[in-house]
Amino acid sequence: MGSSRSRFSAYSLVRQGVSGRPWPRMWRRHELESSYDAVVVGGGLHGLATAYYLAAEQGWSRIAVLERSYLGGGGSGRNTAIIRSNYLTPDGVRFYDHSLRLYADLSAALNFNVMFSQRGHLTLAHTDASLRTMRWRAEVNKIEGVDSEVIGPDRVKELAPSLDTSDRVRYPILGALYHPPGGIVRHDAAVWGYARAADAHGVHLHQETEVVGIETSGGRVTGVRTNRGLISTPVVANCTAGWATTIADMVDLPMPIQTFPLQAAVTEPVRPFLHTVVVSGSLHVYVSQTDRGELVFGASVDPFASYSTRGSLEFVEGLATHVLELMPSLDRLRLLRQWAGLCDMTPDFAPIIGRTPVEGFFVDVGWGTYGFKAGPAAGQALAECIAGRKVPALIEAFALERFETGKLVGEKGAAAVGH
Amino acid sequence: MSEPMPMPMSMRLPAQPGEVIDREERFSFSWNGRSYPAYSGDTIASALAANGVRIFSRSFKYHRPRGLLTASHLDPGCTIQVGEEPNVRGAHRLASPGLDVRSQNTWPSLRYDVKSVNRLAGRFLSAGFYYKTFIKPRRLWPAYEKVLQRFVHGGVIPDRPEEHDAEARFYDKRYAHPDVLVAGGGPAGMAAACAAAEAGARVLLVEEEHRPGGHLRWGDAADLTLLAELRERVSAAGVEVMCDAVVLGRYDDNWVAVVERSPAGPAFERLVKARAETLVVAAGQIERPYVFAGNDLPGVMLSTAVRRLVNLYAVRPGERAVVLTANGSGDAAAADLSRVGVDVAAVVDARHGEDVVRADGRGGVRWVELGDGRRVDCDLLVTATGWTATTALLNMAGNRPVYRPEAARFVPDLDTLPDTVVATGGVVGDGTREALCEHGTAVGEEAARRAAGAAEQSGEVPSRAWPGVKGAEGARAPSAPHPKRPDAEGLTPEPHPELIHGRTHGFVDLCEDVTSKDLLSAVEEGYDSAELAKRYTTATMGPTQGKLEILNVVGILAEATGRTIQEVGTTTWRPPYAPVTLGALAGRRLEPVRHSPMQRWHEEHGAVPLVAGAWIRPDHYGDPGAEAANVRENVGIIDVTPIGKLDLQGPDVAKLLNLLYVNKWSKLEVGRVRYGVMCAEDGVVLDDGVTGRLGEDHYLMSTTSSGAAAVWEWVELWLQTEHPDWRVHVTPVTTAYASINVAGPKSRELMERVTTGVDLSPDAFPYMRVRRGSIAGVDDCVIWRIGFTGELSYEIHVPSAYGLHVWASLLAHGEDLGVAPFGIEAQRILRLEKGHLIVGQDTDGITQGYSADLDWAIKLDKPDFVGRPELAWQRQRGDHPRLVGLLPLDADTVPPEGCQLVEGAEIVGRITSSRRSPTLGRAICLGQVAAHLAEPGTEVTVRLPDGRLTGARVAEQLASVDPEGARLRV
Ligand SMILES: Cc1cc2nc3c(=O)[nH]c(=O)nc-3n(C[C@H](O)[C@H](O)[C@H](O)COP(=O)(O)OP(=O)(O)OC[C@H]3O[C@@H](n4cnc5c(N)ncnc54)[C@H](O)[C@@H]3O)c2cc1C
Repeated sequence: MGSSRSRFSAYSLVRQGVSGRPWPRMWRRHELESSYDAVVVGGGLHGLATAYYLAAEQGWSRIAVLERSYLGGGGSGRNTAIIRSNYLTPDGVRFYDHSLRLYADLSAALNFNVMFSQRGHLTLAHTDASLRTMRWRAEVNKIEGVDSEVIGPDRVKELAPSLDTSDRVRYPILGALYHPPGGIVRHDAAVWGYARAADAHGVHLHQETEVVGIETSGGRVTGVRTNRGLISTPVVANCTAGWATTIADMVDLPMPIQTFPLQAAVTEPVRPFLHTVVVSGSLHVYVSQTDRGELVFGASVDPFASYSTRGSLEFVEGLATHVLELMPSLDRLRLLRQWAGLCDMTPDFAPIIGRTPVEGFFVDVGWGTYGFKAGPAAGQALAECIAGRKVPALIEAFALERFETGKLVGEKGAAAVGH
Repeated sequence: MSEPMPMPMSMRLPAQPGEVIDREERFSFSWNGRSYPAYSGDTIASALAANGVRIFSRSFKYHRPRGLLTASHLDPGCTIQVGEEPNVRGAHRLASPGLDVRSQNTWPSLRYDVKSVNRLAGRFLSAGFYYKTFIKPRRLWPAYEKVLQRFVHGGVIPDRPEEHDAEARFYDKRYAHPDVLVAGGGPAGMAAACAAAEAGARVLLVEEEHRPGGHLRWGDAADLTLLAELRERVSAAGVEVMCDAVVLGRYDDNWVAVVERSPAGPAFERLVKARAETLVVAAGQIERPYVFAGNDLPGVMLSTAVRRLVNLYAVRPGERAVVLTANGSGDAAAADLSRVGVDVAAVVDARHGEDVVRADGRGGVRWVELGDGRRVDCDLLVTATGWTATTALLNMAGNRPVYRPEAARFVPDLDTLPDTVVATGGVVGDGTREALCEHGTAVGEEAARRAAGAAEQSGEVPSRAWPGVKGAEGARAPSAPHPKRPDAEGLTPEPHPELIHGRTHGFVDLCEDVTSKDLLSAVEEGYDSAELAKRYTTATMGPTQGKLEILNVVGILAEATGRTIQEVGTTTWRPPYAPVTLGALAGRRLEPVRHSPMQRWHEEHGAVPLVAGAWIRPDHYGDPGAEAANVRENVGIIDVTPIGKLDLQGPDVAKLLNLLYVNKWSKLEVGRVRYGVMCAEDGVVLDDGVTGRLGEDHYLMSTTSSGAAAVWEWVELWLQTEHPDWRVHVTPVTTAYASINVAGPKSRELMERVTTGVDLSPDAFPYMRVRRGSIAGVDDCVIWRIGFTGELSYEIHVPSAYGLHVWASLLAHGEDLGVAPFGIEAQRILRLEKGHLIVGQDTDGITQGYSADLDWAIKLDKPDFVGRPELAWQRQRGDHPRLVGLLPLDADTVPPEGCQLVEGAEIVGRITSSRRSPTLGRAICLGQVAAHLAEPGTEVTVRLPDGRLTGARVAEQLASVDPEGARLRV
């Protein structure tokens, strides 16, 4: 961190409380310069992390992040902030595990408390088919060194007493995949932490700055056009998630991505009673309780592609039905708010990161419903990829070329409902 | 050490003209363990206030004492626990005999709250303080987190399903189809409802409070007279009125959700889903608090709160009052107070620049400091500093409100609304009660006219009369579009001083304990857009969702950022407008179950159930191994009703089959069946099954049980979107037939005893043929000779009403043959011995055709079929994983399904299916292996769940029993 900045700590909190002096700004406002060494499109978690690591670990300067609205206004401010690494493919598990480890140290690295609560993560099985997939996941996880095991209904009941584990219900709980390192973070905090740290390393954060075109010449990127003027740059990183294809279209690069809305909802707070994250694929619902006491719910993506971020009544009706199937005693808990965000879905439920056929045009997209947990690792790896000659091993499997070589990374079994 | 002794009815006034309490009906309920008297009609809060209670809760962060602020559903200070129900709005919920009411989240008691030391530490607990501390050491964070969780500002939910009475509570749903739905039952809303109903429309009027009337209810004599008239008209006009009900949201095409919180009848709550032709938004205005030091003290109240307490509940809100007023509501509150004998120590008129600087006192207001420096002792400070129009529903219909500085509020931009949404009353502008009614009437008439227009277009009009629809000839309504909005004229927002915060800092969001200072420092710290500042401070994130405080938040942010209020903009209101229980959203919990017609028999014979998607079916009858052995030795019958069945008819069925299956279908003769595999466009295996040709243009397709619905959709998708010209008629008949598989060496003998009209001899009815005939006297049965189990077998599809009869006949006729039922588990063993794959188990979300050992089925020489390009490419690459048979070297160890195959640290495959084979007396498996391991004879390493390694050999083929198929073809 730059030395001119004050560090956050209990001590600084007291000192500021006593002196009443204002805190220094989290990030500064800058004039838009006419050229940068790298332009990151999208001021969500991925864009900010990429810019931060490019500056902090790769030593680049003259980096700009361009955000159409406010920092974290896309998926990064709308997600349900579940962090886990119990995926299905070895490539996926390795990648998400690295990201989870970065999260565990993130508060200290960024000097900003992202409130990573490693409370454990339960994926319930209501059918023998899902139990089988969970065993498969547990086996892959164990081989990759990730703590993950299949547990029976009694253990499930111990971990989450509010679940109805009886066999009176329509879809009895047969077991669960239990993943102790999983948990939740404060999503906004992760965004702001990266933004503040990137700013401290000299990155220019430009909000309300929309990219409207990308200039190329001879197959190379030369600049971006924005609503505030032209910027010349040899490097553009597309970190726009739900809008990924609109940016890729600017360099005529077709991407195997479709954008689907994903809805979520939150209840009024109640005293803490649910101390793990609970996911039920069969019932299409997952739930966690925040430190504020609210229950946060999510489900699978809407059944049709769209850029709409409006919530539907059908969604909350279905959600409530399924939540009560799992936890019947919550009937008088009130739903406070519902919303939707956009998800950039790929055919194999795995991301697309790295170089593209257009030189200087990098992508970190295809994060679908699971990209929040990936932010730190993706940002770090993309920064390495931009700065170096070589694609880091961690993201080799996620290259765009896999749709030409056919080497897909099938994560559907671990990512369709539990994000 | 809990509550002060109740002072029964010490604050109750003599009878008031508009009071809603019934003094004849007196009862008591308990508050924090003590008994308090109440009258019928009292809310919990009004009853407590009448007994001298002033503190109802402690605030979120600083644990400051809080009293009544709005005395309405929105009151941030009066959220309480009622029995097992958390977060009840005490100023809205009616008191009833014997209620057990408690304050939430206070320890040890409401009066002496230990956590209120946070007040002292307040200056260190600025907004977002948690982001700045507890960072190191990392291992202590979980402990800190527990401390933070202690401050959760909510009630207690019974969290063990075993220990609560949820099943006793019944939630319901209802569909409604009103011509006109009026949201809000104030004078304008009631007038609109009457006008629309009198014009012939079916009208639903939804009112959040317990009775309609809006602000007329706490008004003067003339208000009460008008209210009585309007109520009379509403009932005479046949308007359906729902009280204690709230419109939660307006979705596309006027799909409107309403929750009734205390419906008549057995339901605890009811969700009403209405498709309204016209939605009239008459949701009025919400009075907003003023921001200054001490503005959250018990005894600081809005003018509407005072007027409600005095006029509706006959409660004296205090003894000595100061009234800060900028409008008629404040003036009226001052008059109310004087009338009932409260000492009004000062009226501070903000219209003349007068101001209140601060309020202070321990546990409640003791004195206030005025703008001119005067200090006035009082226990009640009333503020009337402005209004917020309730635009949420209009917002959900696409409207963006605009800020009117001269009126100090956002108002809707009516021109941006669809024709089917109109507004009236306070949400549009201000006016006398007469002006409000007049506007409401005009809007209501127009709403009816538009609904009639829509009804005419849908052809509904001839059966309905619209007597009052002006411009209609007879019953016919005009269908022309309506360019002019009926709601745009007649009501305008009155001038009002822009009062947001005074000279001192105070609370902006009382639910979340956010102060004006928090907002200013958030902006200074860089959270300088409205969205960021709200997120950082959590202002507007609490239970009122900004309905009370949004303008204050926006105003303070505008000030801090040097923008105008219009530039900062108001919030985007999202549904639900008011918090709604999960119970109401879920309604009756209907989880349909599918059973075959033979289910009763299965239950009576000890079947162990298996939940398989929509179906519940027998997994086994006690001993699956023996059931399997009996199929190999004698004959078994299994209920396979859940198998998906599609009846396909028409001249183009063969084209359809050729398109969707990877194998060839053009030459399938009548009377034959064939196994087929479907792949998706990406070449991934989607489903499999057998399809038979029953007649020239008539086929019966079967699918996997779990894929039945998806395949039907898939078939329809291709027909409707790609080949609408093909003549194929698709009828799903899964449940029209009961299906039974009769399998085993003695199956022919058994079938011969029950079948008539079909020659079952091997030459007349060989393998992979279909016949129709009569079984056990039941005509029109379809009989397939196929063999998933690897034995001679007949799959029979019987009209479902006769399923049980046929099942019982088979058992009765086969007793001497050793016939016995078998379940899914035995079937899985048998099919694994035979090496038949299960889609979704031996394949997964990226398994393409050639990875499922389907090389023999995929016909790339067909000109086209779904998935062909991908499959051609897969074959060309050739580096794909393969599905193989695996024989564990240790015949007694069955590696569980899901075990991984490893080469050193690398994963090179997995076990997809495994069982102990009763026929061979050894472990057998199917597995996906990397290409280089697929050669028969290759030894692979299996990692068992406990980490031990064991070996397995790749078999010659998938089948380990009867690979040549001799048993099938006898
Ligand atoms: C409801 C919901 C729940 C989710 N739950 C989880 C979860 O529990 N766990 C998990 O790991 N993931 C979850 N996700 C997924 C996760 O939110 C996303 O994958 C992740 O936030 C993507 O981050 P990002 O930075 O790539 O994109 P975003 O945060 O979406 O940022 C992209 C940014 O690009 C900006 N932009 C777009 N076009 C332009 C342009 N032309 N010019 C400039 N800027 C532009 C947008 O304004 C936006 O701010 C969830 C998503 C949703 C919607």
